[in-house]
Amino acid sequence: MRSKKSSYLALWPAVLFGLPLGPPNAFSASPARSIAQEVDAGFGYVGGATTRGGGGNIGSVDEWNADLKYVLSPQITPNVLLRFGAEWQRSTFGVPDWAPVPSVLQQANAIIGFDYQLTDQWLLRAELRPGIYSDFKDVSWRDVNAPLLVGVAYLANADLQWFFGVRVDGRSHYPALPAVGIRWRFADDWTLNLVLPKPRLEHDLNERLKAYLSAAIEVDTFRAGDHFGDDQGRSDLNHAMLDYFAARVGLGLSWRIRPSVNVEADAGYMLHRRFNFFDQHLIFRSEPAPYVQVACHFRF
Amino acid sequence: MSIAKPRPGGTSSCTQPRVQQTQLLLAARGQASKFLLLSLLVGYAATAGFALPNPVESLKRFSAFRSVDSARLVDGEILGERGSLMDFPQGITAQTCFVLPVTAAEAAQRLQTWDPSPHEALNVLAFSPIGLPCQGADFASLDLRSSNHALRWLLDKSFAATTGKSELNLTRDEARQLADCAKGNPAPQAVSACWAKLLLQRVALFQRQGFAAVPPYETSGKTISPADQLQAMLREKTAMTHEFAPLLMQSGVLGREPAPTLTPFYYWGLCEANRHGTLYLGAAYLLPLDDRYQILKAQYYVSGTYYTSVTLFQVWPIQVGEKSGALVWRGDFYAAPSLALTRGIDRLATGAIMLQELKKAIRCFQADVIAKRLTRN
Repeated sequence: MRSKKSSYLALWPAVLFGLPLGPPNAFSASPARSIAQEVDAGFGYVGGATTRGGGGNIGSVDEWNADLKYVLSPQITPNVLLRFGAEWQRSTFGVPDWAPVPSVLQQANAIIGFDYQLTDQWLLRAELRPGIYSDFKDVSWRDVNAPLLVGVAYLANADLQWFFGVRVDGRSHYPALPAVGIRWRFADDWTLNLVLPKPRLEHDLNERLKAYLSAAIEVDTFRAGDHFGDDQGRSDLNHAMLDYFAARVGLGLSWRIRPSVNVEADAGYMLHRRFNFFDQHLIFRSEPAPYVQVACHFRF
Repeated sequence: MSIAKPRPGGTSSCTQPRVQQTQLLLAARGQASKFLLLSLLVGYAATAGFALPNPVESLKRFSAFRSVDSARLVDGEILGERGSLMDFPQGITAQTCFVLPVTAAEAAQRLQTWDPSPHEALNVLAFSPIGLPCQGADFASLDLRSSNHALRWLLDKSFAATTGKSELNLTRDEARQLADCAKGNPAPQAVSACWAKLLLQRVALFQRQGFAAVPPYETSGKTISPADQLQAMLREKTAMTHEFAPLLMQSGVLGREPAPTLTPFYYWGLCEANRHGTLYLGAAYLLPLDDRYQILKAQYYVSGTYYTSVTLFQVWPIQVGEKSGALVWRGDFYAAPSLALTRGIDRLATGAIMLQELKKAIRCFQADVIAKRLTRN
C-alpha cells in the first residue's frame, strides 16, 4: 500500500492507558527495524499581504517561516508504536513596530504519543505536544501549553481510508476542533489525500516524481509577551492569548530523491491569515498573497 | 474438545521424510546456516517422533495465537495476527487460523490446489495448473487482451523493458527476449505468447532443479533472488521453521541438499497487485504427517510489484462437540521492495490491510469448500 497518513494525530505514554504489553519475546526484529524515525524540515516565504484590523490598516505584512520536527517511534508490541520527539516552528512577520501584531510567533515543543491498532480496520493516534507557544519574549510558565491531537483511521481497503480527528487546546477560542479526512486512490496515478492539515490531490508522474494540488491549514494558539501590549499602547494585550489561522492553496512537486528522502516544493496563494486576540475582540486579517514553500522529509 | 482419529497416510503423491543429516550439514554455508539446519533437524526429529494430543495446544506452541476458542472457530470465526517486524527489510508476515467443515485430508487437498480466480473480489484474473513436465499448452489460457487497466500496465511495462532497466522482475536475458518479442509484434496476443515462453523456461528450470535454480531478477539495478528472499523470511521465524522442518527440507526451500523429495502441484496465475497486472509461478507442496498435514505454497517467480510470497499451512482433524472438521493454521510471508520504505504507522496499516485481504481470501475459500460439500451431498 502506498499510503500517506502523515496527519492523523497524536499521544500519552502507553502505561497511562494500561495498553496490553506483549511478552518480551514478542519482537524478534533487531532494534534498528523496530524503531522508525521521522525528520521533517520546511522553509517558506509569504509575500506582503495587506493586513487590517482594529479599525485600521497596518500595511503590507510579509512572512518567513521555518519548522523542524523529529520523531522516534519504537514498536513495543505488535499493536503499539510509541512516539517521542521534538518540534520547532517559527513565523516572522514584517509588521511595523507600532502594530499590535507580534513580529514573531514561535513554538518549541515535545511530542509524546502513541499509535495503536484498535481492530483489524481501526488505527488510533494520540499525540500530546507540550511546549512553549509564544512570541518568545519574557518566556515564562504562562507560555507553556499542551495541545492534544487525537485521530482514528478506518482502513476500508488498500485504496480507501477514512480519518476522523480532533484537536484539543484549552487555551484556544475553539477548544476542540474536529476534522474528517479521506485518502482515496481512485485511479492508477491519482490519489485524493484529503487529510488535514495538508489535504492534497496527488498525481504520480513517475515512480519518483509526484505533482500535487495542495491546501494547507495552520491553526495554533500563542500567548503574547508580558509587555507586548505596553509596547503598542494597549496594556490589555499584555500576555494575551492569540489564535493564529492561515489557509493556503498551491501547486507543488514531490521528488523522492532517495528511498527514504522526499523533497517537496510548492507555490500558490495564501488565501487568508488571521491574528485573533479573542479575549480582547481584536482581529487582524490579511488579504491573499503569494507564497513559496520547500520541505524535506526523511523516513528511516 | 476432542480430537478426531488421525488419518494415516494421507495423499499418496507425497513421499515420506528421508533426511540425511550429514549431507544437510555439509551443504550448510556458514555458521548461521549450520545452526538453522541443526534447528530444522531437531525440529524434524521432535515433530516426527511425537504426536501432540491436542491440535489447539500444538498450534499455540509455534504460532502467534495464545488464546484459541475452537467453538468460535467451528462457527466460522477467522483468527488473525499481524506478524512482528522482521529484520528482513522487504518482508511482512501474518498468521490466520480457521476451521473448515471437511476432513483434514480433504481440506489439505483443497488448500493445495485451490483456484481463486472465480472470486472477483480477490483480483485473480487467471489461474491454471501446470503439468509435469510443463508444456506450452499449459499457458494456452494466458491472454493479456483486455481493457483492464492492470493488464494495460503489464503490457506497457513489457514494451518498455530493456536489458538495463525495467520495472518488471526479469533477468537481463529475459528482458532482452521480451523486448525483442514485443517489438516484433506489439499485439497483446503476441505479447501474451512472449510471456508464455518466458514463464515456460522458468517452470522447466524449476521442475528440473527446484529452488536452487530459480533465476534472479536483474533489471531493477540490483540482483534480487526470490529464492533467497523466501529463505530469509522463513529463517527469521524459528518457531515456524522448527514446526515445518519436514516440509521445508523435503520441498527444498531450506537446505539445498539433498534434492527435493516432494512433487508439488505446479501452477501459474495472473493477478492484480497494487493495480498492476502481475504474473506468478507457484508450487504447492503437501506433506501428510502422522496427525496432521503440512502445505507450502511458494511463488518462485513474480513478474513485478512484489518479489515473492510463501504460505505455510498446517491442518489437523478437530472435533468440537458434535461438529468435526479441519483446523487450519496459515502463515503468510510477502517480500516487496516498497516494504523497505514502509515504517511506523504506515507499516501498522500495511499489516492490517494485509490481514483484511487474507481474511477475504479465506472466506472465499471457505465458501468454495462449503459449496462443494453441499453439491456432493
